[in-house]
Amino acid sequence: MRSLERIAAVAANTMREAVRSRVLYTLLFFALALIGTGVLLSTLSYVEQDRILQDVGFAAIRVFGVAIAIFVGIGLVHREIDRRTIFTILSKPIGRSEFLLGKYFGLLATLWLQVGVMAVGFAAVSLATHAPLGRVHAAAFALIGVELAVVVAIALLFSAFASPMLASLFTAGLWLIGHLSRDLRNLGSQSSADSVKLATEWLYRALPDLSAFDLTQHAAHGLPIAASDVALPLAYGLGWVALALVAATWVFERRDFR
Amino acid sequence: MSAADEVVRVEGLVKEFRSGLGLRAKRVLHGVSFSVRAGEIFGFVGPNGAGKTTTLKILMGLIRATRGRASVLGHDVRETEFRRHVGFLPEAPYFYDYLSGREFLRFYARLGGVPRAERAARVETLLAWVGLEGAGDARLRTYSKGMLQRIGIAQALVHDPRVVFLDEPMSGLDPIGRKEIRDLIRRLQAEGKTVFMNTHILSDVEMLCDRVAIIVQGEIRFEGSGHAALADEDREAELVLTGVPPALAEALAEGRGSALRGVGERIELSVPHKQVGEVLARALAAGAHVVSVAPRRASLESIFLSAVEGGRR
Repeated sequence: MRSLERIAAVAANTMREAVRSRVLYTLLFFALALIGTGVLLSTLSYVEQDRILQDVGFAAIRVFGVAIAIFVGIGLVHREIDRRTIFTILSKPIGRSEFLLGKYFGLLATLWLQVGVMAVGFAAVSLATHAPLGRVHAAAFALIGVELAVVVAIALLFSAFASPMLASLFTAGLWLIGHLSRDLRNLGSQSSADSVKLATEWLYRALPDLSAFDLTQHAAHGLPIAASDVALPLAYGLGWVALALVAATWVFERRDFR
Repeated sequence: MSAADEVVRVEGLVKEFRSGLGLRAKRVLHGVSFSVRAGEIFGFVGPNGAGKTTTLKILMGLIRATRGRASVLGHDVRETEFRRHVGFLPEAPYFYDYLSGREFLRFYARLGGVPRAERAARVETLLAWVGLEGAGDARLRTYSKGMLQRIGIAQALVHDPRVVFLDEPMSGLDPIGRKEIRDLIRRLQAEGKTVFMNTHILSDVEMLCDRVAIIVQGEIRFEGSGHAALADEDREAELVLTGVPPALAEALAEGRGSALRGVGERIELSVPHKQVGEVLARALAAGAHVVSVAPRRASLESIFLSAVEGGRR
């Protein structure tokens, strides 16, 4: 119980610092602006205006959510070490893993809050243009939230040992590869060489498949979804989060804070 | 001294930092050992780069020792729970400047395990204790350096620890700020807390510390009471005499290697403590007058310098 209290204290302080960050509001402003410009972009086409509007909206939420996770998230962790605030925190009866989990949940709660604000903007624009909105849209937002949970955990892992610049590059790189790993496997499976098939298959298994969290096409086209379309990616995402956090804790526990 | 009296015990501490892909190891602590007793103000003294902060960070669990053992209140420093009884103020601390003083202390009280019902009262007590009751709602970014140091001490005390570790607590402060912090440290001792203080400001150590350890190049050169170290045989007395015949003055100085400084008829002699009686008897027999006899104790600075010089040799 006391452990939860300490994790909650760090998480609350992380949220407080994040919501006072100007970078966060700048990114949020551009995300909302981009969602709004979807209206203009959709007028350039005579067909599927709703789909274009919502494609742009989902893309804005995903990209800016990841940008906030990387730039604000990694910055917050690094600042604790760089400015030595971590010295006074770890001198209190709080374990390093508790500190890391507090940071993680604080960042995640901030990100989900941002996704919530962007989702409200998305819904407002959709309602104003009479674009369809339904459960599949809510499911798509939820899976963006799960994807961000995976990205923040990976960002935390990299920031446990790398400089902020490297941690940002590693996380952004892994996010991009994570969205391509399924295509890579499909491409490899068409190869006549068994070694290529095997390599792309193992690469797919070793890297997170972030396209598993993408229900935006279902939402934009109004396609039906089953419960497993959400439950399976959710379980997959939780697995990756647990893996990344365990690895981050392992690295963090062994680190010297000089 | 029984083990129960020991608040801090450090035995054979070795620390190596690895750099360059982990291939090269630089040893910064070479088997450091010392202990701190309950209720004392302990000064951990050394020049910059001697290993003071590294040792303190090992005690705070921020750095893992390569070899050796360190315990605080009988607990291995790698444990976590015992830190409920430990307070720490790092050197030149940066705090969350977006928080007010009150928010800041509440956060640390929560981390330190202060029960929710007691937190608000404890924060107010601490703000008053460090003289910041009027600045509790101001953001930390508006605090002066002295105020930051005081709120830093307040965060170290907010959970009412038994032992407080301070890293260069007077560093960068003006004389008024230094006096305020000295007074706070004395009050901590008066309340029964043990204080461990890293510093290189020797005048503060002389004024505050019951015992000191001097570390040079990662090795302990001296541990004990600063006063006890200056035992009788090392002490000297400063004699000021008038009417001493020049030949006798030179003989007195030469015979025992004493320093002789003379202005006209008035001479000053530094004489080993045990020879004061003999010198006075000879001077008086030659018709001299005694102006003053003052015991002169070697300063901590001289111990410190000889320890540092020893390290260089």
